[in-house]
Amino acid sequence: MPLNIIVCIKWVPNTQIVNIDPNTGTLIREGVPSIINPHDLNAVEMALRLKEKYGGVVTAVSMAPMSAKTGLEFVIGMGVDRAILVSDRVFAGADTLATSYTLSKVIEKLRPFDILIFGQETIDSSTAHIGAQTASWLRVPYLYYVVDVEYINGVVRATRRLEKKIEVYELPTPCLLAVAMKSNEPRPVKLSHKLRAKMENVIEVWTNNEVGLKRECIGLRGSPTVVEKCIVTPSVPRKKQRFDGQDVREAVKWLVDRLIEDEGLKII
Amino acid sequence: MKKMKVDEVLNTNIWDVDSKPHIVVDYEKCRRLCNKKACVYLCPAGCYTLTGGEILFSYEGCVECGTCRVICPHEAITWNYPLSGRGVQYRYG
Amino acid sequence: MSYLSNTKFDVIIVGAGPAGSTAAYTLAKNGLRVVVLERGRTAGSKTLYGGRVYSKPLEEVYENFRKEAPIERWVKKERFSFMSNGELLTLEYSSTDSTSFTAYLSRLASWMAQKAEEAGAVIVTDIRVDDLYLEDGVVKGVRCGDEVLRSNVVVDAEGVNRLILERFGMVPKLEKRQVALGLKQVIRLDASKIEGRLGLAAGEGLAWLIVGEATGYLPGGSFLYTNSSTISLGLVVFLEEAYQNINQHVFNILEDLKQKQSIKEVIADGVVIEYGAHLTPEMGLGMSPKKMYGDGLLIVGDAAGLLLNLGYTIRGVDFAAYSGYLAAKTILKAHSMGSYNSESLSFYQKLLEESFIMKEMKKHKKITKLMRSNEMFTIYPGILLDTVKKLFEIEYSSPTILQALRNSIKGKTSLLKLLWNIFRTFF
Repeated sequence: MPLNIIVCIKWVPNTQIVNIDPNTGTLIREGVPSIINPHDLNAVEMALRLKEKYGGVVTAVSMAPMSAKTGLEFVIGMGVDRAILVSDRVFAGADTLATSYTLSKVIEKLRPFDILIFGQETIDSSTAHIGAQTASWLRVPYLYYVVDVEYINGVVRATRRLEKKIEVYELPTPCLLAVAMKSNEPRPVKLSHKLRAKMENVIEVWTNNEVGLKRECIGLRGSPTVVEKCIVTPSVPRKKQRFDGQDVREAVKWLVDRLIEDEGLKII
Repeated sequence: MKKMKVDEVLNTNIWDVDSKPHIVVDYEKCRRLCNKKACVYLCPAGCYTLTGGEILFSYEGCVECGTCRVICPHEAITWNYPLSGRGVQYRYG
Repeated sequence: MSYLSNTKFDVIIVGAGPAGSTAAYTLAKNGLRVVVLERGRTAGSKTLYGGRVYSKPLEEVYENFRKEAPIERWVKKERFSFMSNGELLTLEYSSTDSTSFTAYLSRLASWMAQKAEEAGAVIVTDIRVDDLYLEDGVVKGVRCGDEVLRSNVVVDAEGVNRLILERFGMVPKLEKRQVALGLKQVIRLDASKIEGRLGLAAGEGLAWLIVGEATGYLPGGSFLYTNSSTISLGLVVFLEEAYQNINQHVFNILEDLKQKQSIKEVIADGVVIEYGAHLTPEMGLGMSPKKMYGDGLLIVGDAAGLLLNLGYTIRGVDFAAYSGYLAAKTILKAHSMGSYNSESLSFYQKLLEESFIMKEMKKHKKITKLMRSNEMFTIYPGILLDTVKKLFEIEYSSPTILQALRNSIKGKTSLLKLLWNIFRTFF
């Protein structure tokens, strides 16, 4: 049986150049180009490797404004078969609860699915909520920090790496995996795939007409999260010590000595 | 405006750095054949630095101009552009 | 190797810069099936230049260019300065009309690509072309990794680092005497400050070239262009001469320039928002391949060496775009005849020769050589400033111009040589 794999990706402002407004504590997004959340590319890569090994179809889902088409074209370029852009003004302003609810309802329409793959977290908010919440809405088992996955006799065998140990789990399908960031190397895009994205109109746009959700459960109205206060952490004054030698080994030794002597670092 | 360092100025750019280098330097050639090491002065992104008298190359801040490829007198540099649109992302250019 | 089927295009264009997109726009508008393969994430994300574009040739190609293109400021004021020991000797020209504008090349290239797309061209980003694909010695497409895309003709608009043409053996490896290195910072600054400090009316633009100390006395020039609310500040140095003479990091030359009083007060409280560098063709036709066409192949823009550096100004974008336009015209003719061999495509060379591009490049053939003479950058700025200093900083008696000049030249060069060189450069 070929696998039906669904990957969720987020279209995020490039936080490398996003500054924080010191007065309001919010992100200044104006004029900042958006990108695919880089950790989601690890999810796409994992999905494509599963497909290559066991056969199947990979569908990418993103809830975003229409500008996210560029991002979906990129993942189609990597080899994703089908892409759904969930885009409607009524979805805007969603917190993680409303987002995961909307995504889960979209995913339900894609049944039967076998494996859902998410990135570990996003670079613009870093909550790591969406995977867990979506799994809860769909009532499927959830595993995070996954670095490797196999599919043996109808069972998903997923490996995750924690700080001091490696754990291997067996999960039934369907299940949801959140991939540890940087756990694989996303492949480059291919001309044939990218041409398909450009010429065959593969990206489906779903508005709430297609999804059919109640207004009070989605977008800003469906979002109970209230941000009470943002605190901008003050920058820590630097000690401005500098190693001026040339030798790399000496430099490392000097740095370690400073950390031990001045900062109380312990080497276990 | 205060005098800035090259790293500081490169940090104002948007980057999508590939995990694999798009330029490979044959350090053996730098060591054996090159006294001038003009790349250290002429790479506008400061990708070539001297450590203990030897060239150390880091591709992360490369702006893909091609200067090092053109000036290297010993063909020590295997040069290509990054794949998948990675590398520097000019907004103004 | 996998050959992509069902996607036969009439034309493949390598690179979505001004040359590539203009070719695509012209071809698509006339009904040909065109695909542009661009290595960057977006059209324009890998382009970089000084800051000013000459408008006329672009207005000929794009309808409503003046209204629609992402123009920052029309250049109404030109400055040319010699800098020595922090002092400036400046020639300034203000005009009521303008033939050039400042713009961000990333945005202009992106606008051109969008025009091409609207006309029906397919723009595919994130794709690096590795090689030309040949059948029986004839270019029949391109290779990207292990994939081959076929077409009747390929337009090479890959830019100054013409890796594809080098691999194909059409041009020798790029040499340092053929190019210059340009580096640039984009500095954000309020429009009112830009205008106030540079004496510009609202919306007016300035183009300023500085030689001498501004490049650390290396042959080349520094530039400052005004955009709406940023300043493009950078320098261009001839790579061969820089290679021989440089004794500090090239980046520091630009940082030193920012500390010179005359520049410092213009950019005060500005914030750097981008820094980049790019090579530019500098040999005049010396970098161009003898034949800019082959069986199934045309070469345009920087890849064809089509750029003119006159010392006081540089023309690249309009040359590139117009060469793309001429390549498209050639292909349209070849298409109607049903032949893409080098004989039909040689029409491109003929169009180029007849156009302002080749006329300009031939007319100014000698200037490159002269601009690279070291005196122009090391000795002359000092002599000129010293002369002017003697003329204006009067204590009791004032010298005549000739006396002042003679005194300043003493031991450095001969008056005759200086005058001859100035004459040769500008007339």
